[in-house]
Amino acid sequence: MRRNLIAVGVAALALSACVQTKQYANVEFAPPSGDYKLLVMRPDVTVGSVTTGGMVEPRADWTETARANLLAALKTQQAGRGGNVLILEKRDGLPGVDAETIAELERLHYAVGSSIALHKYSGAYLPTKRGKGLDWTLGQDAVALGRKSGMDYALFLHAEDSFVSPGRVALQVLGIAGCAVGFCAPTIGGGGQFAYASLVDLRTGEVVWFNVLQTGSQVAGIKFGDIRTADGAAVMVERLLGRMKPGKDVARALKAAQ
Amino acid sequence: MNLSRRALLGGGVALAAALTAGAADARILPSAMGPLIGPGYKPTDRDEIGLWQQMARVEEEVAGSNLLIKDPALNRYLQGLIGKVGGPAAQDMRIYLARIPEFNAVMFPTGFTVIFSGLLLRMRNEAQLAGVIAHESGHFLRKHQIRQWRDMRTKSDVFAVLAMGAGVAGGAAGVYTGDLARLAELGTILSLFRYNRTLEAEADAMGVRLLAGAGYAPDAMAETWDQLIRELDASAKYRRKKRDRGYSLFATHPAPEARMADLRVSAREVTVPGRGYDDGRDRYLSAIAPIRPMLLDDQVKLNDPGASQTIVETLAIDGWNGLLRFHEAEVWRLRNRAGDDARAALGYAASVGYADAPPDAWRWHGVMLQKAGRGAEARAAYARYLVMAPNAPDAPFIRQLLQ
Repeated sequence: MRRNLIAVGVAALALSACVQTKQYANVEFAPPSGDYKLLVMRPDVTVGSVTTGGMVEPRADWTETARANLLAALKTQQAGRGGNVLILEKRDGLPGVDAETIAELERLHYAVGSSIALHKYSGAYLPTKRGKGLDWTLGQDAVALGRKSGMDYALFLHAEDSFVSPGRVALQVLGIAGCAVGFCAPTIGGGGQFAYASLVDLRTGEVVWFNVLQTGSQVAGIKFGDIRTADGAAVMVERLLGRMKPGKDVARALKAAQ
Repeated sequence: MNLSRRALLGGGVALAAALTAGAADARILPSAMGPLIGPGYKPTDRDEIGLWQQMARVEEEVAGSNLLIKDPALNRYLQGLIGKVGGPAAQDMRIYLARIPEFNAVMFPTGFTVIFSGLLLRMRNEAQLAGVIAHESGHFLRKHQIRQWRDMRTKSDVFAVLAMGAGVAGGAAGVYTGDLARLAELGTILSLFRYNRTLEAEADAMGVRLLAGAGYAPDAMAETWDQLIRELDASAKYRRKKRDRGYSLFATHPAPEARMADLRVSAREVTVPGRGYDDGRDRYLSAIAPIRPMLLDDQVKLNDPGASQTIVETLAIDGWNGLLRFHEAEVWRLRNRAGDDARAALGYAASVGYADAPPDAWRWHGVMLQKAGRGAEARAAYARYLVMAPNAPDAPFIRQLLQ
């Protein structure tokens, strides 16, 4: 009887683990399609291992593999929409644009992105932005970059993934086994993905679309994707960028046209 | 019952850790501090490779920061200093100077260090600055960042296993172990802080050794701490507070007094009798000359008159000059307590008596004379100001006054 209860408990936990995305779009945003040029700004990828105690230890080899996989998956996925992707690996990798300009735009986006995270995702909602979709901009600096580089969009990408170590799994097993004697710690967790993508229209400078992806389980050892593999990376790219919804005004116009 | 005894044992171990964390940290001998890495060091362990990879991006960000003071000659000078006191990694380390008016310097795991401009302000000579840089080099040469990371990883692993084991054992035996687990957690945290203090003490010992090896007076590091203690005391006293003595169990660094005392003893140990040691004061002053007015100005504007005044007085131990007198007067003027205006007026008057008085000293001297009703002398001071700073933002206004 007891054993059955544990099985039911673990199953319930596995269900409570999840894959979550939440996207916002500028009200006038129409997902890019046709023949467009997308500049991917120095993608920031980190993959680590979760120690028994719960710390994330960065792994250089996993990070390299995951990064290469993600970029390949991104190219394939965008090509499917008709986009030409240029991946900026280094700050000085864009002809005619100096490294300092790229660095400043990255810092500006970091500030704006943090503001989006705070006011759209962390609960500090702004009454003045209610019902306005995503209403943030990088301003003329982004427009200038578009003019100089001839690109239509800039994509800022950040991805983290972590995997529990065998020690952590053992600890989890112990925690679940403890339920049998009345000390139940079935949800120590650890491991999972966090990623965000931010799309900037380089013709207007506006951040037109933003998406955050989170996958994780409260049970250490249960995973929802692995960006170290080509398939896992494709899954993350699809979850993050695959279902871009148009902005409110555009969606309404589309509906009216139907 | 057998199992719950083990649980109690786990708690006991942690309690012991908590108790030893409170004991005085013993001095680390400079002679015991050999470098753990050679020239051109690259990590080979998996965890360290991961750490280095992450740091590459951090260094790129630091190197491109607009907080950096870009003066090429000054940066060459600092790079040269780390070349002197950097031990086997002298040619591998990078140094960045950031405009932050605080006493601090940071070493990153991959061997780049960030020096805060407030540090350059407070140093009286090259030996003192080389001492701080030697301390930072010590962190890199002794692989402190990765050792600290490993310490944290091991202790958090042990804690997680013990806490879970004790919980399950307690559950089986019907004993509540939550309090013990909490105690063990505290013990783990305290032992992490203690390890950090040990590493700082190692860096001090290693630093003294590097400093003496490079021909600098090894006592310079203890002097720096003496200066800092006086400054912190004065700053707290002005605010009618007591200085944080730094004896907390949660301190990341040893208490300043303890560091100073240890550094003194260590300096004596590495001093070779009969050998001449250099303090490089002239070299230092000429290297920082282009930014010294800015350093003083940044400090004065922190609105910490207790600290600012002590800093100016400490620098003046080696002799007053127009720049120091001017900033002393600025501290008084901005402090604005009863009688400070008169003090500031005297300070500006004293400043302009030196050949190196900055233009602003003449300007404020003029303002103070004018307020005192000494119009003719004020006009002369303003005229001098305009000669020295014809393009100052307020020059047209002053010219108007003179008409």
